[in-house]
Formats: sequence, C-alpha cells, structure tokens
Amino acid sequence: MERKTAIREFLRNLLARKGDTHPFSDETSVLLSGRLQSVDAVELAVFLEENFGVDFATMGFDQERMDTVNAIWSLVEESSMLGK
Amino acid sequence: MTTFVDPSRTAIVSPRANSLWGFRLIPRIETYPRVLAFSQTVAGKLTILGLFGIGAYYLLPHWKALILCLAVITALPQYRRILLTVSTLLWACGIWWRWTDHPRLVEAGILFILAALLFWLATLFRNSWFGRWPVATLLTGFALLVLLANYLPRGGSLRAVSWDFLTVAAAYLWFIAYSLLDISSKSRDPFTLQIGTYHPLWNWDLTYTPFAKGAAYLRRIGAQNAEQLAVAQLKGLKLLLWSVILDLLLKKAFRPVVYGYMGIPLYADVFELSVQRVAFPWYVGWASLIANFLETMAGFSIWGHRVVASCRMAGFLVLRNTYRPLASRSIAEFWNRYNYYFKELMVDCFFYPTFIRYFKKRGRWRLFAATFVAAGFGNAFYHFFSELDYIEELGFWRALDGFQSYIFFTIVLAVGIGISQVRDRKIANSGWIRGRLIPALSVTSFYCILSIFDHYLKRYPIQECFRFLAHLFNLVS
Repeated sequence: MERKTAIREFLRNLLARKGDTHPFSDETSVLLSGRLQSVDAVELAVFLEENFGVDFATMGFDQERMDTVNAIWSLVEESSMLGK
Repeated sequence: MTTFVDPSRTAIVSPRANSLWGFRLIPRIETYPRVLAFSQTVAGKLTILGLFGIGAYYLLPHWKALILCLAVITALPQYRRILLTVSTLLWACGIWWRWTDHPRLVEAGILFILAALLFWLATLFRNSWFGRWPVATLLTGFALLVLLANYLPRGGSLRAVSWDFLTVAAAYLWFIAYSLLDISSKSRDPFTLQIGTYHPLWNWDLTYTPFAKGAAYLRRIGAQNAEQLAVAQLKGLKLLLWSVILDLLLKKAFRPVVYGYMGIPLYADVFELSVQRVAFPWYVGWASLIANFLETMAGFSIWGHRVVASCRMAGFLVLRNTYRPLASRSIAEFWNRYNYYFKELMVDCFFYPTFIRYFKKRGRWRLFAATFVAAGFGNAFYHFFSELDYIEELGFWRALDGFQSYIFFTIVLAVGIGISQVRDRKIANSGWIRGRLIPALSVTSFYCILSIFDHYLKRYPIQECFRFLAHLFNLVS
C-alpha cells in the first residue's frame, strides 16, 4: 500500500505545482480530463520507470492506464508480474 | 499526453487577473439544473438539434446530412458507435468520394480492406517488427509508395491509378495510424468500430488530422447516460454559437476595420512586394504580418470549434481544438492550445514512441529529443505528405526542395518547444504583468515572427522568408 500512497502523493504534487488543489480520489481522471498536461504525463512515466521499474517500451504507453491512481497501480502490478 | 487545462487550474496569478479571465460571454448553461433537465426530454433534444441546425446552416456546407446523422445518434445513443460507423461509410462511399473530380470509390474500398488487413496482422503478430512498430511501418510504407509512384512514367495509366489511390490513402493515413495504436489497448475496439473513426461525421471536411483522435479516445469520452449526453450537446451548441460569433466578428468587424478603415495591406501582397523587390515601409510589413497572424488564428479557431461542436453533439465530451492561445505563457503551451488534435497526433505517433524507447539515461535530453522528433520531424512529415498534388506535379525531390522554409519552421518550432519544455516550469506568484502579460506577448511574438516561414501551401525559397524578416527590422529596403 505504501507504493500506492507514493503514486497518490506524486500525482498530488504534480497537480499542486500547477495550482490545482481540487480533491481527487483513486478513481479520478487526471490525464484524460485535462488536469495534467503532456509534460506531466512524461514526468509520471519517468517516476514510474525510476521507482517501480515500469518499462514502457514493453508495456506500451497507454494513457488510459495512467489516468487514475488505481489504473497506475494496476499498471505497476502488471509490470512487477512481468519482471518476475 | 493530454493537455488543455482549465484556466482556473493553471497559474497562480492575482485575483484581479482571475476575475478578468473568468468572464464568460456565453453562460455555462450546462450547469443550470432546469436547462439540463429540459435537454434530456424529447422537446429539449429537438430544440438543441434545431438550434444547432441553424448554426450549422450558417457555417457548414453539408449541414443537412450532419443534422440527420446527429438526430439518429441522439435518438439511439446506445448504438452511437455503430451509427458512427454506418454514417462514416455512407459518407465516404455514398457522397465524399463521388464528389471528387472523378469517383474514387474503388480506391476507398481497397483502402478500407487494406486497413482491415493491417489491423488484423498487427493484432495477430504483436511480437513481430510490424506488431511492435505498426505506425512507423505504416508511415514508412506510405512514404516509399509515394517515392515509387514519383518514378512511374508520366501520362501512363499506372501512374494515374497509383496517384488516385495514394490521394485516398493520404486522406486516411493518420486515422489508420490511430487504429494501429489502439492495438496495444486491452479494451481495443474491433475493426468495424475502428472504421467509424475514419473521417467521422464531424471530420467530414478534408482535414487529415483525426479530431477526437481514434477509437481509444472515443471509448473513454462517450456520454454514458442521458445527463452526460445533454451536457455534451449543450457544450456543443455553445461552442457552435461561439464559432458563429467569432465568424461574424472576423467578417463584419476585423476585416473591414483592418483592411478597409486602417488600410493595412494583405500579408500575401506585402510578401509578394518583398519578393518582387518593391519597396514598402517596414511598419507596413509588421502590420500586415500581425493582422494575418491574428486572422489566421481566428479562422482556425472558428473551423476547429465547429468540428468539435459537431463531435460533442454526437455525444462525445471532447476538448476544444483551440483554447485561448494568446493566453499561453510558454512556447509549448501555445502549441498545445492552438491546434490540440494535431499536437496530440504528433505526440501519439512520434513523441511517445521515441520517449519510451530512446535516450533513457539522458535526463532532459530525452524529453528534448522526443519533442524534436514530434514537433520537428513528425510535423514536417505530416505536411509534406498531405500535399500529394504538389509532389505529383513537381516530382518528389523538387517538392522536397521547395519545402525548405517549412522544414526550417519545424526545426525552430521544435527547438523552441523543446527548450520551453525542459525549462523549470514552476509558476511564481508574480502578478498579472510579469506573470501573464509579458510571457504571453513574448510567446505570441515568437509564433507571429515564425509564421513568416510557415509556407506549406504556397512555397517561396527560404531566402525570401529571411529577406522579409530583415525587411521588418529595416535591414533591407
């Protein structure tokens, strides 16, 4: 669960840096709703690569899978399964 | 990469600035409970369709067919995607390809079969080269076919048939690319639904940029219930109204004042004077350039708004194509706000594939390189291959040579966006003038000056663009 908290915190910081302090849940869309921009998606990707070892070259870069905390968590779990 | 951010969520600026930017000419009727409830009734739906029809009559040449399709989709929202496929096929084969100088129905049919074959092959052989690089293979294959067609003997039937087919293929190229990108999605649509995104009813004008992207995006933004449909349609209606207002302002106020009362000559004419070495004052050059830049931006917004409005009327909660570009505080933000769906196309087809595979250990260079591939190479590729008539007439290499000013445009643009993206993006609470006005003016000036090189329809040697630029600073007579 700590890893999920880290994802949540990272998104919260990204949003806060843009002046977006609106609340969000684990099911709130952050990318497709337009709350985060291109560069933020890239920052998120780098965060997932560096902290969770997600390899997007293998997993594919599907925005739908990075849109909510739960979707990202599922992506990270799948990536971990592939790595084992 | 998704973008547009609601202005209320972007920068931390002074309260006065927020109140100014928060002004709305058209109220947010989609948030009024009574309006929303009425919009979900039969009478409400008919009213919205009727009002949209009046706006469409003013703005769109094919308004009757559009309203007919929208009425059917509104009545049967549960079959929205299937109806989209039917209307797309009817439009493509029943109307569109009959309208051309000679019917290209056979070419369109062959292309759809080929697209289905590519989709099937990429799905079946996911681990092959094509399965891993479907869009790169598609684009390379298309470019090679154009190059080969260039060497076919002029006047021959094979050349005519080839160019006819390539013209149809070019119109669908980027739509097919989005279908191939959808293959990696777990919940991908079957090809029968993918084809509904190939110039769907809102994309009936011959733009090669897929608005509302592809099937993957449509799946996520389709209205899920009657209330969401009402919201989407009300927002569509509002956007069409805004498009009509902008159109009237452009035609009845901007043009008469700028080109009539103020007597500013057309940019194309002033540029031609520069090419012909006819002297004109430097400030006339600036005035015509700025007027042309603003007019182009307004015209582009009007066109994009009506496309997005039609898409929203079909029940898809899409973002605008153009959203307050003059409020941009960085070069990257302007590119994002000016032509959102083109930028998304470049991002999906060029930026992400580069970013996730290359320069992983290079820090900020990784972002810069991916940006350069998208805004530079991808942008040039798109525009070069969208003008097949030009390539057919001049020949591949001469056409490429004539494209040099646009290539320069894309290089400077890509470098500008790249630098803009890798810079520290922290937004300081620096007030309206330093925080918003000066950055916005700087960014707009960059794009305005760069537009001198944005010749992809009528091409001039790059020297002429530089000469005009020098003229603006009174460096040449």
